[in-house]
Amino acid sequence: MSARFSVGIDLGTTNSVIACVPLDQERAKVELVPIPQLTAPSTVEARDFLPSFLYLGTEAEAAAGHFDAGGKKKAAHAVGAFAQRQAAEVPARTIASAKSWLCDSRVDRRQPILPWGAPAEVLKMSPVEASRRYLEQLAAAWKAANPKAPLAQQEVVLTLPASFDASARELTREAALEAGLPEGVVLLEEPQAALYAWLAEMGDRWRQHLKPGDRLLVCDVGGGTTDLTLIDVAEEDGQLMLKRVAVGNHTLVGGDNMDLAMAHFAAAAFAKKGVTLDPWQSVALWHSCRVAKEAMLNENGPAKHAVTVLGRGSKMIGGTVSVELEREAVAKLLLDGFFPACALEDAPERRRAPGFKEIGLPFETDTAITRHIAAFLSAQGGEKGPMRPTHVLFNGGVFKAAALRERLLEVIGGWFGGRKTVKVLEGVHDLDFSVAKGAAYYGAVKKGKGVRIRGGTARSYYVGIETAGPAIPGAVRPVRALCVVPFGMEEGTEADVPGDEIGLAVGEPAHFRFFSSAVRKTDAAGALLSTWKEEELSETDSMEAQLPRAKGQKDAYVPVRFHVRITELGVLELSCAGTASGERWKLEFSVRRDAEKA
Amino acid sequence: MSRLGLAFRAFLRVLRDPAFAEQVAHPAQGEALPAPPKQPSRSDALTLLSVLQQEARLVDFLKESLSSYDDAQIGATVRDVHRDCGAVLERLFALRPVDSRAEGGEAEVPAGFDASRIRLSGNVTGSPPFRGKLRHAGWEATRCQIPEWSGSEDAARLARPACWVVAPAEVEV
Repeated sequence: MSARFSVGIDLGTTNSVIACVPLDQERAKVELVPIPQLTAPSTVEARDFLPSFLYLGTEAEAAAGHFDAGGKKKAAHAVGAFAQRQAAEVPARTIASAKSWLCDSRVDRRQPILPWGAPAEVLKMSPVEASRRYLEQLAAAWKAANPKAPLAQQEVVLTLPASFDASARELTREAALEAGLPEGVVLLEEPQAALYAWLAEMGDRWRQHLKPGDRLLVCDVGGGTTDLTLIDVAEEDGQLMLKRVAVGNHTLVGGDNMDLAMAHFAAAAFAKKGVTLDPWQSVALWHSCRVAKEAMLNENGPAKHAVTVLGRGSKMIGGTVSVELEREAVAKLLLDGFFPACALEDAPERRRAPGFKEIGLPFETDTAITRHIAAFLSAQGGEKGPMRPTHVLFNGGVFKAAALRERLLEVIGGWFGGRKTVKVLEGVHDLDFSVAKGAAYYGAVKKGKGVRIRGGTARSYYVGIETAGPAIPGAVRPVRALCVVPFGMEEGTEADVPGDEIGLAVGEPAHFRFFSSAVRKTDAAGALLSTWKEEELSETDSMEAQLPRAKGQKDAYVPVRFHVRITELGVLELSCAGTASGERWKLEFSVRRDAEKA
Repeated sequence: MSRLGLAFRAFLRVLRDPAFAEQVAHPAQGEALPAPPKQPSRSDALTLLSVLQQEARLVDFLKESLSSYDDAQIGATVRDVHRDCGAVLERLFALRPVDSRAEGGEAEVPAGFDASRIRLSGNVTGSPPFRGKLRHAGWEATRCQIPEWSGSEDAARLARPACWVVAPAEVEV
């Protein structure tokens, strides 16, 4: 049976969304799929968002049927709005930001490590499994809404951060397949999806707003992460085309940091009144602060806004305290804290890591998004000087506050000669849902007409090769990096990596260190680097291949060359081929696979 | 299978099998049918009350005596309760005015109007069309999405069933 819908899934760090569009209708509108979820114990409600939180309940709660939903009995955990609420009150039992763990190659992402630092009696989950649970919930929502169109038979597009490297992409895909998404699930970068949503809204009119030579900065500030992408507008055979030319690194700073900063600020005001807040009240405060932020930081926003914390317990009115926040102070806190004026040459501050650091998510020490953008534009431009965007496309609920949008444009414009030198991309910016909607739209236009963003791989990839030569005691053998995937290698293509043969041991797994770079764009496949700047290449999971020893084979080594393929679905496949035998062995990410799968 | 074939097989089996003959003579009512979907074991009214308490503290607010507080103190509380109750109403019911015309303005009531959507007051004589002033624009729900209670049957059978709890007691450990 052929697909009837294109389904877009935004598996977010803090919120997930699913949208769809029927394939058999011209100009059909992209619609959100309601997501039934636990909003309180034993209470199921459909919402447009699925908060990406997972609460691992106590045995008593499970036995009382608190997490039962959709016919499941004695379920042990809850996903969604209820879990998000629990995150503040019972943090040790709640998984948050599983997605940020998914791209953290310092930990084994198939091992049950979440919630990070949870006590021993909590049955932990791996980042992959938590992601799978979120996707299962979204798949169940699809099934409830469209019982006659199984998800596995639809055209499904799953979005991920542009900054995800090959191994994080593969882990996401693994979670997706385990959750029942079709084998042919397409992976799409979130900032591109946001632009597709804009294209879907604009229809053919988009050509009136962009011209050849324009360069678009997609600035996607989610709950916990900031994702940057540059897309160029070019002309080819008289047609306008879009090409993704650069993506930023994974930056762990987002809207939640701003709400948290404001809540801290307000909590200090409460402390002056002698009020200390418990966790429940802190959540309420966080919520009130977000409302106040959006009200105050808009054009003609009030100069003052009361933030109230209701009394705990059933004596509510008596315990209610409010403080007045001033627009000026809040604007200063958020604008200077997150969008400070800075020079294009500025780099994010990297405070020296303390000698003893508890391992956890690598949160940014510098919350200045403008400095991260400056560093991104400078690094991407390389020797030709910083890349200059002509337009900005905003994404993420943070940008509902007009003052933040305006400040960002001011700072970026200021780098290139004034505020007027950069424009907001005109048209509808659906800040909350555009990624899922754009993904659904992409699935629909992918096969037919409609403009597509080209780009290929967002990174170049390298295999680390130890140099031959005598070992020097105490010194690490220098490693050279062989470029196996050049930047921008297109989906649906494959190539042999030219260069010298490499000898691989047979009968035992051969390990390779694996690196990627978002800034080295000119390295061709086969290029061998002996030196590079530390920040240029980042190491990801190692790869391995096991070559069986053929019968009667005497040599312990076989000469091989690398072969690389990027599938239409955006999956990177690396293999090595024996130059003599022509046999091929696939290289796998050697993330340990012994993690228990529940 | 054709029904004719089935009828013959049933005929033969009635002759051979006394128990089967009994079943045909007195079919057990509804036994073969799948059980109808279980009705939620909790009233929607309680669930709605529980949502309003959880998200907007409405029950706490209404159960507390106002006599010992001044208006400013009450006002501070009301703003939050009002905002959060409003959000729940919007999400679950999406209330819209029945009549989109401005309140206080002239309003014509056509012949054959729907009496459940427009209520007449004052000097109501004769037959429509009527002319008058719109005193209240009315409200109608454009959806009704009360959350579903998924609690277990066991819990509902307890002496003090879980489904009656609007807000649990809270203990911080």
